[in-house]
Amino acid sequence: MKSSEVRVERFDAYERVMHWMAALSFVYATLTGLALWTPVLYWLAAPFGGGFVIRGTHPWSGVLFSATIGWMFLRWAKTMGLDADDRAWLAKMDKYATHQHDTLPESGKFNAGQKMLFWSQVATAVLLFVSGIVLWFPESMPRSLRLASIALHPLAAIGSIAGILVHIYMGIASVPRSMRAMLQGWVTPNWARLHHPKWYREWRDSTNIR
Amino acid sequence: MLVAKLIDTTLCIGCKACEVACQEWNDQEYTLGTFDGSYQTMPDLAPNFWNLIKFNEVERDGGLSWLMSKYQCMHCADAGCLAACPAPGAIVQLANGTVDFVHDNCIGCGYCITGCPFDVPKLSATSKKVYKCTLCSDRTAVGLEPSCIKTCPTNCLTFGERDEMIRVADIRTRELKADGFKDAGVYNPQGVGGTNVIYVLNDASKPEQYGLPKDPVIPWTVQLWKGPLKMLGTVVFLGTILGAFFHFVIYGPQREESPDEVE
Repeated sequence: MKSSEVRVERFDAYERVMHWMAALSFVYATLTGLALWTPVLYWLAAPFGGGFVIRGTHPWSGVLFSATIGWMFLRWAKTMGLDADDRAWLAKMDKYATHQHDTLPESGKFNAGQKMLFWSQVATAVLLFVSGIVLWFPESMPRSLRLASIALHPLAAIGSIAGILVHIYMGIASVPRSMRAMLQGWVTPNWARLHHPKWYREWRDSTNIR
Repeated sequence: MLVAKLIDTTLCIGCKACEVACQEWNDQEYTLGTFDGSYQTMPDLAPNFWNLIKFNEVERDGGLSWLMSKYQCMHCADAGCLAACPAPGAIVQLANGTVDFVHDNCIGCGYCITGCPFDVPKLSATSKKVYKCTLCSDRTAVGLEPSCIKTCPTNCLTFGERDEMIRVADIRTRELKADGFKDAGVYNPQGVGGTNVIYVLNDASKPEQYGLPKDPVIPWTVQLWKGPLKMLGTVVFLGTILGAFFHFVIYGPQREESPDEVE
């Protein structure tokens, strides 16, 4: 039995649709948000119809993004809990970054870095959603909330965008074959064993493929 | 040359001629306001109503006093609306000090409403853009005084070079003090760098009585957003992108799965 001939399902169709809905709405909200963030990047508004148009559409893309994050939370929150191995992993994150993977505790379906990304995105999405609603309707919200949101919204966005930049780098450049897992949904057994050994063993024990 | 409106509240008789002149010159329809038991035309400014005489009712010396004050854009030197505006060219400050909205560039986000310490700009539900007093920039550009000034029958309103207006205001304050208004003074708040609409008040110790904030400033969260947060974001974004790139250059991708041996 050759590893390359076996497909281990990593993300089912629901999870893939969920992820890419979040990704597309995030990219739209980020590009239009950056246009409104600084005059230096205001030209980013033009391909989306200009400032007046994105003032109307940016909030809706944020609503869509928040909704998909809510969906992710419902689907993944349990899986994303940190166990003792994950905490040990986080303490040695530099080893992961320098590709000394043999010295790290074994990971389950998601490694501790992915879990941290998940929770940081949930946290920033909540902040972005709440402050975004306040900024959306300036004439119906108390001034004190608007003043807080004017600083909170970009602050949360900076954190969120930084996390996603790392996420995109990992997905397209740093971890070979991870993009296929999110686009087509499967990985090979050897990929699973290399990156997520505990999850691999769960799969192996639940199947009779050897 | 900076210009200024001088509003001597002690001379206002509440005739509202300035309200009418403003509506006429700016060709705005009057929308019936709310009647709330006051002589005041409506409770607040509106997208199509930029100049409101406030009939502030204040108890003083055992009786009731009407403190008239003309409520409109203050044309601040450090304008909170301008500081908060994310759309380049939507709010401009003219060389004469006028803070003007350019509606072709306005995106209707309403940040100016939040940035303004005087709560002046109003969002129109129909055009989805924000409106306020222009200091009649279309009149001052050709050497005319604003329409409210032109129409005032009591000389409560005057318009001219800013330094001259401040000098007149100081003279008027001295007269009021001589008349027994010991707290008389000029309202030209320094927290926003001074304003191009200046008031003479017969009690400057409590501007709130006239509906004017005591110490208006540009909100610190607006300044945080426009200053340090932009620096922080730039450093974080560029740092992350360059960091990822050089991480790849130094360490390359993570190792590939072994192609085919079986456990």
